[in-house]
Amino acid sequence: MKSILLSSVAVAVLVFTGCGSNQPAVDKKPVENVAEQEVEVVQTETVSPENSEVLDFNGMSINQVEQKLSTVYFDFDKYNIRADMQDAVQNDAEVANKVASRFKVKLEGNCDEWGSDEYNFALGLKRASSVKKALVAQGVDATNITMVSYGESNPVCTAQTQECWSKNRRVDFKLLP
Amino acid sequence: MKVLLSLMLFFSVLFSSDATIDVVKRVDTLPSLGIESSSSDYNDVFKMKFFKSLVADLNVISLFNVDRHFRENDFDSSELLIQNKDMNYVLKYRLLQEDSGALHVDVKLIHNDETILNKSYRVGKQSIYVFISHAIAYDVNNAMDAPSVAWMKKKVIFSRIVAPKKSEIVIADYTLTYQHTILTGGFNIFPKWANKAQTAFYYTALDGSKPTLKHIDIKTAKITKVLSSDGMIVCSDVSEDKTKLLLTMAPKGQTDIYMYDVATKRYKKLTNYGGIDVNGQFLGQNKIVFISDRLGYPNVFSKDIGSTDVEQMVYYGRSNSACSVHGNYIVYKARESSNAFSKNTFNLHLISTKTDFIRRLTATGVNQFPKFSQDGDAILFIKNYKAQSAIGIIRLNQNKNYLFPLKYGKLQSMDW
Repeated sequence: MKSILLSSVAVAVLVFTGCGSNQPAVDKKPVENVAEQEVEVVQTETVSPENSEVLDFNGMSINQVEQKLSTVYFDFDKYNIRADMQDAVQNDAEVANKVASRFKVKLEGNCDEWGSDEYNFALGLKRASSVKKALVAQGVDATNITMVSYGESNPVCTAQTQECWSKNRRVDFKLLP
Repeated sequence: MKVLLSLMLFFSVLFSSDATIDVVKRVDTLPSLGIESSSSDYNDVFKMKFFKSLVADLNVISLFNVDRHFRENDFDSSELLIQNKDMNYVLKYRLLQEDSGALHVDVKLIHNDETILNKSYRVGKQSIYVFISHAIAYDVNNAMDAPSVAWMKKKVIFSRIVAPKKSEIVIADYTLTYQHTILTGGFNIFPKWANKAQTAFYYTALDGSKPTLKHIDIKTAKITKVLSSDGMIVCSDVSEDKTKLLLTMAPKGQTDIYMYDVATKRYKKLTNYGGIDVNGQFLGQNKIVFISDRLGYPNVFSKDIGSTDVEQMVYYGRSNSACSVHGNYIVYKARESSNAFSKNTFNLHLISTKTDFIRRLTATGVNQFPKFSQDGDAILFIKNYKAQSAIGIIRLNQNKNYLFPLKYGKLQSMDW
C-alpha cells in the first residue's frame, strides 16, 4: 500500500501569495498582511498493490517467477539490444511464454545518472520498447506487455563508477497479476 | 587603430541589447550600498540570518556594490553611521516582533539625505522571513527604476528523488531557503505550474499501473487525474492562457508530443517520428520548439502546429537534450563530452533565432533543466555536482550566476 500525503498546503499558499501582492511604492507605508491558517487537508490515495503475493497454478509465487526473468543491460546512450544480451532476452521470452504467461509483463526502462530530463525518460522507454519488440518477435503476446520509464530515478547502484552506471542502464521485468 | 576602434564601437552599439553577447568585463562603477539594522526584539542569530538573506538578495539584483558589514543603528535616527556617510545609498531596516509572533519589518532606502523608499512588511511567522527579504530587494529594484525582477517573488516547484522510486514535490522560494514539501510518500515527478498565479500544478505519478498526469489545486488540496499513458507522460509546457498543455506521451511505446485541450479534455498528436520527440514548448501562438533525435542525436527543432515541416534550431553541440524558449532566445543544454567511462559535462548555451551568436552560460559540472523566467530576465537551472544538487540563476544582462544548494536529495525536475 502506497499513499500520498498532501500536507500543510494552505499555509504554503498563504505564505507565497502574501508576498506576491507587493506593489512598488515610494514614500508610502502599506503594511502587508499574511494571515495564518491552520494546516491540513490530508488526502490519501490508494494505488494498486504491485507486489502482493499471488500464486499461479504451478504453485510458484509471482515473485518466484519474476526471479527467473533476467534484466537486460544497455550501452551508454543506446537503446539497441547488445549481442551479449540476446541470451538473456531469449530466456525472458521463454519464461514469458511459459511459466509467466498468466501474468502481465511490465517492462521498466532505466537510465544512468547522466541526464534527468524528458529525453532521458524517453531513452529509458526506448530501451523498454526494444525489449518488447524482441519478446513479441519470439511469440510473446504484445497486449500482455506494458512499459514504463523511470529515467534515472530508480538506480540500483549510486556510486560514481562506470560499473555502477552500466548497471543502471537496464530494463527490469515486473509481473502483474 | 582608429578604424579598429570605430569598428569596435560600431559592433558594441549594434549588439548592445543582444543577450547572446557576453559582457566580459564590467567596470566597477556600481553605486555603493550600506545597510543599517535595528532590532531589540530578536537575538543575534536571527538578526544575522535576516541580514545575510537581505545582502544576498540585494546582490542578486546586481545594482549595487553591497557593503557586507553588519552594522546597527537606530531606525528613526536621522544621522547615518559614520561608516556609511560616503555610501551612495543606505538601506535602513527595523525588525519588530508583534505580540502574535508575526514578523514586522520597516524599511527605508536613503540617497543623498532623501528617503526614496519607505515601506513596511509583515509575515505571520518568523520562519518565513526570507519572503520579506525578497520583497525588499524587489521593491528596492523598482525604486531604482531597474528592469523588473518579478521572478524573485515567484515560487519554484521541484521534485526531489529521496530513494529509488521515491520522491517528494517541494515548493520553495528562489533561493531554496524556505522549502515546503507539498507531496510526499510516492513516486511523483515532473511538476509543472498550471497557471501564472502558481496556485495549482501538474505532475506525473508513476505509482500506478500506468504513468498518470495529475493536477493539484493547492488551495483546496484537490487532486484530479488528467490523463494516463503507457510508457511515459510528462507535462512539458502550459500555454500563456493555461488552456492548452504540451505533453510528451507514448501511448504505443513511441514518445511524441501531443497538445491537450484543458477544457475539452481532447488531445492531438503534433509530432510523428519513429524516434524520440520530447520537451515541447510553445513558441508564440502557432509554433512549438521541441527536442528530437531525428538526426541521430538529440537536438532542438521547431515546427508550426498543424504543419509537417520541421526546422532545426541549433547547429552547435552534438547532444542537446533540453531547452527553454523566451521570445527570440533559446537556452539549451549541450553534452560536451560523450564518455561512458568517466564523468560527463553538460553546459547551457544561449542562442538567438535572429543572429548566429552562441553564448555559453555555464562552464563546469552537469547543468540541466534550463528554464527562462516569465520576463526572460533570468534563467533558472539545476546544477548537479558530485552528489549534490543546486538551483542556479543566471542573470543574462548582468552576466552573473548564483547557486543555491539543496540540503539533501537529488533534484529531478523543476519549474518556476
